[in-house]
Amino acid sequence: MSNRKLKLAAVSFLNARPITHGIERGEGRMGERFDLRFDLPSRCTELLQSGEVDLALIPIASLATMGQPLHIVPGISVASRGPVRTVLLVSQVPWEQLTTIALDGASRTSAALIQILSKARGALPLFVPADHDAVLSGVKGTHGALIIGDAAFDAANDFPYVVDLGDAWRELVGLPMVYAVWAGRPDAADPEAVSLLRESLRMGIEGRSQIARGWAESSHLAPDLCVTYLHHNIRYGLGAEELSGASAFLARAAADGLIPKAPHLRFFDDGRPERPITTVRTAPPLPVPQSGRDHPNKSIDALLSDAAAGIRLGTEDALRLYDKASTIDLGAAADIRRRSLHDDGVVTYIIDRNVNYTNVCVTRCKFCNFYRPPNRADGYTLTREQLTQKFQETVDLEGVQILLQGGLNPDLPLAYYEDLFRWIKANFPLAIHGLSPEEIRYIAELEGMSLRGVIERLIEAGLDSIPGGGAEILDDEIREKISPLKCSTETWLEVMRQGHKLGLRTTGSMVFGFGETPRHVVNHLEHLRALQDETSGFTAFICWPFQAEGTRLKLRDDTTAVRYLREFALARLYLDNFPSLQVSWPTMGPDVGQVALRFGGNDFGSAMIEENVVSQAGAVFKLSAGDIERYVRDAGFIPRRRNMRYELLATS
Amino acid sequence: MTVTFDSIVRKVEQQEPLSFDDGVALFAHPNIMEVGLLANRVRERLHGNRTFFNRNFHINATNVCVASCRFCSFARLKEGDPEAHTMTLEEAWGKLQARVDRNEPVTEIHIVNGLHDKLSFEYYTDLLSGLKRIKPDIHIKAFTAVEIHYYSQHYGMTVGEVLRRLHAAGMDSLPGGGAEIFADRVRQKICADKCNAEEWLHVHRTAHRMGLRSNCTMLYGTIETVEERVDHMLRLRDLQDETGGFQTFIPLAFHPDNNALMKLPGPTGVEDLRTYAVARLLLHNIPHLKAYWVMLGVKTSQTALWFGADDVDGTVQEEKIYHMAGAETPQTLTSDELVRIIVNAGRDPVERDTLYNVVTETEALVSQKPFRRNVQKRSLEVVP
Repeated sequence: MSNRKLKLAAVSFLNARPITHGIERGEGRMGERFDLRFDLPSRCTELLQSGEVDLALIPIASLATMGQPLHIVPGISVASRGPVRTVLLVSQVPWEQLTTIALDGASRTSAALIQILSKARGALPLFVPADHDAVLSGVKGTHGALIIGDAAFDAANDFPYVVDLGDAWRELVGLPMVYAVWAGRPDAADPEAVSLLRESLRMGIEGRSQIARGWAESSHLAPDLCVTYLHHNIRYGLGAEELSGASAFLARAAADGLIPKAPHLRFFDDGRPERPITTVRTAPPLPVPQSGRDHPNKSIDALLSDAAAGIRLGTEDALRLYDKASTIDLGAAADIRRRSLHDDGVVTYIIDRNVNYTNVCVTRCKFCNFYRPPNRADGYTLTREQLTQKFQETVDLEGVQILLQGGLNPDLPLAYYEDLFRWIKANFPLAIHGLSPEEIRYIAELEGMSLRGVIERLIEAGLDSIPGGGAEILDDEIREKISPLKCSTETWLEVMRQGHKLGLRTTGSMVFGFGETPRHVVNHLEHLRALQDETSGFTAFICWPFQAEGTRLKLRDDTTAVRYLREFALARLYLDNFPSLQVSWPTMGPDVGQVALRFGGNDFGSAMIEENVVSQAGAVFKLSAGDIERYVRDAGFIPRRRNMRYELLATS
Repeated sequence: MTVTFDSIVRKVEQQEPLSFDDGVALFAHPNIMEVGLLANRVRERLHGNRTFFNRNFHINATNVCVASCRFCSFARLKEGDPEAHTMTLEEAWGKLQARVDRNEPVTEIHIVNGLHDKLSFEYYTDLLSGLKRIKPDIHIKAFTAVEIHYYSQHYGMTVGEVLRRLHAAGMDSLPGGGAEIFADRVRQKICADKCNAEEWLHVHRTAHRMGLRSNCTMLYGTIETVEERVDHMLRLRDLQDETGGFQTFIPLAFHPDNNALMKLPGPTGVEDLRTYAVARLLLHNIPHLKAYWVMLGVKTSQTALWFGADDVDGTVQEEKIYHMAGAETPQTLTSDELVRIIVNAGRDPVERDTLYNVVTETEALVSQKPFRRNVQKRSLEVVP
């Protein structure tokens, strides 16, 4: 355990107080490990840059301008989901009519935010710097101002046109806005320090009301205003949606030239070493985590209504619901939960293309009809020419990413992927949603590298995210029956864990119909939920039934619509930390996929321009973007296109 | 009194009939799960967990048709057209004979035809009596009101006479087809040259007064408005109040392929489920609501069992009408598969005959080979 005292700098606004609360109290290890000073946001950044402090609560845009790679403390941020109240555009005339907007020099991130938002609405005012104290007095005629901090509380009532930028951001991209994070050089914070910082926030959240009232008193603000602000307007976590919001902001800031390049979000290490790679035959038994607790005294109805309200289910709770809750009750509860997570009535979908770069595979899963063992005449690896045709077509059809997956081909080393990714990035404006835990562990084995090592190289070459395939059922007993040569449950999870820690987003999946029991299903969900608690890296969960045609697996298990809807609804209730659930129309058909939007789903998946693997085994539905939009509207939602991190894309 | 969802819930709880405005409000209610939950309650109050199916097969003796319904691919088919087919009596009888020879436990034949202008009336009576000769206890559910009305005009008899003669020859009940949407505005556009609403209802009223039971249907998802759907259902409800002769209501989803209305998109899954739920709530006096899997697809039908439906139509071998219109569902489901689908939906299968007498109860159905109920997985599997 380190005893080094760390120097910290944090902003002195009200919204940061809960974060620093425990540190300020300085009891026990808090006092021994930390030395905290307060300053303006830009000063905090300078102190970190110069090395005068080890960690600083800095505006998120500064991550890109420090000139050195920084790591972030996981789980802590200053963020908002919708109106933030302390970042406002005020003016006498509407935004579109403004010729200048005065920028309060105190926050670069807010400045970038308003520039991004202006551009998105087609407004092009001049942005002029102004002193923190002089900003308001210049608001007349077509001159507006960006107001931040305490001054914004009052300013809201003093002008005819007031736009809350947190709200405007959410409307534009459908994600939270992250304003500030704890950051430092990669060696700045050890695991104990990280854990203390999180404890400090936890104490601050508990004491929010007191903090708010104390602040109100000393700054002559209304106490209720401050209490509401800290409870509702500011969010402090750095969960999956916040991470997406932060990435979206940095990407747009870079695209608009406001920062040099969007940095990858990397986290301080929790000191946990990477688990060795195992296959289902070599893996020791893996205990099922306990990310929630059970409520054996709650009735089924009580469990349903509590889960609908976001109260976490234990594994036995979930099993009881699976067994006893009626299908429509389960669906209705999941529907309520979905609506509280996504209250904008939007269902997203993405336009992308599945490109299976090779069908040569040594894993030979029994449930797959797509693979070809090496040296078969009908095995292929796509040429650059073939890939060009597919990628160009994707761009022409308004696709935004490639889901790039293939078999485990022993002739393709890491260098192949690096070259491929670099080539894609150099030639096509497409995101690479690529590979899978199984492919990555195979590359690691071929190259004798760690999982983390391989993933780092792939990210360098252009990998943007990893699809959640290859999970099937996360239980080695089942996996041994259906794909005995495949990676173990633990390795699947470990690849995702390492990827998340390196800032990659991934999806999580489940395929059912392999003779698994309800307990297997719940354990699978539990593995995903516990990992999400650790890393917040999953964007969405998707499940579908095993497609049997032409495969070697002659199971006759229940893969009917009601089972799909029940498992889907249960997943929505259980995976309380997964922002989105995608329906599976390619396997279930668009009608059932649509119904699943009312059983907890908020995303219609992909208008995939090509799909090879599952359709070989029997599922042959095809939908255009127009079809998808019709199904979404008929279900009562507004369809919107998104990218991988669930950022809304502009409507054309 | 203004209609709110709560006011509708109260009426349903007190078992009061819903109004036209209530029906329209239910179709517009944004939360389809609430509508489904309410319909499910009514379904369970009437039938508990029981879900009915029967063993039947279809005979479309002729698909030649003088009418030109725009949603049907039989429209205006003439004798001699490549797709036209009129069975000989032997051919039709042979379909039953083959099943009897195989000892198939089928309990119903469902017979519907195009409107053929060159067959004699005896074709139909001979068809029926021949079938009854082969299997006297088979139930024959035959001829939609459209056909009955057409025969009365074409052969110069009253509707009552037509029904009496067919009944004497072996027709035991009437299927519900041909109703489409009662509103004239819609009929004028999609099926102008067959019987109108009053005529359709007259046939069923006459049949009911003769002691015959029948089904009724509604074709939704063409050009009708929500108001027209509600009006259609309420007219059926009114006739039921008079005669009590309807057994089952079957909402039929429009299928857009291979017919003149191909450009319309057809209803989606959520709309299907909503229509089922609203039907269950509006038609409080019609005992059964059937999800016809041939149209809806197996998956949506299964889901509909939680949105008001208590019946999954039968094994339906050799269905032609929908499949010529492009239905991609299987042409037949064995009764084992139907049982499995129902159990895996969480419901109790009950085999019935046409008049809803129980043929086989749940326990017997599920304990038979080749099933194994896996309590751990909470599913029913077919054991190979």
